[in-house]
Amino acid sequence: MNQLFKASAILSVLLLALPAAAEVVVVVNAKAAESSLTKDQVSQFFLGKSTAMTPVDQAENAPARAEFYKKVTDKDPSQIKALWSKLVFTGKATMPKEVGDNAGVKKAVAADPKAIGYIDKSAVDASVKVVYSGS
Amino acid sequence: MKTRNIVVALALPFAVASAFAQDSNAVRISGFGTGALTFSDTDKAEFARSNQSSGVKKDPRTGVDSNLGLQADYTVNSWLSVTGQGLVRKDGEDSFGAELSWAFVKAKLSDNLSVRVGRMAMPAFMISEYRNVGYANTFLRPPQELYSQMPINNIDGADVTWQQQYGDTTVTALAAYGRSDFKTAGGPTAESRDQYALNLTAEHGPFIVRVGRSGTKLSSESAQLDAAVITFNNTAAAFNVPQVADMGVLLNTKDRKYTFTSAGLSMDWNNIVVLTEYAKRKMPDSFLGSSKSWYVMGGYRFGKFLPYYTRAKIISKGVTNTIPANCPAGASFACAPTLAALSGLMNTLTTAIDGTSQTTDSIGVRWDFTTSAALKVQVDRIKPQTNGQFINVQPGFKGPVTVGAVALDFVF
Repeated sequence: MNQLFKASAILSVLLLALPAAAEVVVVVNAKAAESSLTKDQVSQFFLGKSTAMTPVDQAENAPARAEFYKKVTDKDPSQIKALWSKLVFTGKATMPKEVGDNAGVKKAVAADPKAIGYIDKSAVDASVKVVYSGS
Repeated sequence: MKTRNIVVALALPFAVASAFAQDSNAVRISGFGTGALTFSDTDKAEFARSNQSSGVKKDPRTGVDSNLGLQADYTVNSWLSVTGQGLVRKDGEDSFGAELSWAFVKAKLSDNLSVRVGRMAMPAFMISEYRNVGYANTFLRPPQELYSQMPINNIDGADVTWQQQYGDTTVTALAAYGRSDFKTAGGPTAESRDQYALNLTAEHGPFIVRVGRSGTKLSSESAQLDAAVITFNNTAAAFNVPQVADMGVLLNTKDRKYTFTSAGLSMDWNNIVVLTEYAKRKMPDSFLGSSKSWYVMGGYRFGKFLPYYTRAKIISKGVTNTIPANCPAGASFACAPTLAALSGLMNTLTTAIDGTSQTTDSIGVRWDFTTSAALKVQVDRIKPQTNGQFINVQPGFKGPVTVGAVALDFVF
């Protein structure tokens, strides 16, 4: 019995150690006109192809960031960086502002009706509206 | 002096930034750079990027492929922004020098239309605006065969950009007009007037297609060629051989028409990366003649590694010498040797221009070892017709030449 308890404790520690595959959702200001966006629309904003909305990023090492870009654009962080450096150094666009973590994104999105960001699904509250949650 | 220029150019974006920095969020400072070592397997000629006055031989050197740029973007309001960029590299002169690559004000007039005024990149190529940003490119350096054929980097003037969405395709048209003064490799300052560029780009998912046409009237100082023009004109008059005056026109270095027409395609689809361009350069009233150039780069992304292969080719063509071998009947006996001498000069020039033709095969790999930096290794096998695009060529030089380079590209 004791053995079994120990084994399951070890197992759950191992499970916790695995990267948490938390689901990332895309959010906008609660008062924004958009009620849902397609994956392509979201990626247009985050790849600098449309300026109709203002993207905000999580910090470079935030797990949600890599997961978001993989999910929406199917590109890894260095591809995203290379793509943006083309836009930045042609004077066409500036990099999305980095606002830290889930809380930072919620704050930025709540403050700007044109802002668009991504957070862990578990962090969603009334200050923001989910427009894309993926499949 | 040099060092001071460099400091000034790099400090400028910061100066612009702090001058406008009431709202620190509105100013973005970003930078790019490449630290590289380049070497070749010959000591009889130097490998250089176009418009560099010295290059590398067997001893590895940093000058060919290294640079550092800084940029400041200031967003005034939702429709107005200011951009400044300083760049340090070897261009025109023998040492690292600083240049103000861009300084423009951009006004977004509507969602479809924007206007820029100031100094912008000359948009003659597919990657005109980020060709100095190693990190933004797959290859270590743009293929010199094509990128040497439009020597003008900037345009001081204005441009208009119009962008429209058609379904999933974005079409962008750009028209620019202005002028530019630039330092030629080891030579005098050249003046470019009535400089223009027209661009049409269509982007559809991972595909980008572009066609462009640019041109200018180029002038530079050359006492030697000015003297030659006089000699040719005098000879034509003295012996009544108008073809000699026709050739004299080609040696004139003032207000020479220059056109550059190009088309390109880029693709980044399912880890397959392709970039290709084709260009025609024409100087119809200059001994510099014309050229056709192209390159094809293909690569495949294996995670963080992107191996690639590039083939590039330029075919340069000097002018056709029309000076007759024989003098008109009754001409003085000085005629024949004079014609022979001038004809010989024209043939030498044409042979030299033809000899700048070359083909390069390159293999390389880009390794994205972290998010803001990439390491590249590239080996080029260059087959020049005679001198090819090599500079400071010594007697006995013969291709093919192997060039190697290791570069660290970064952005911040």
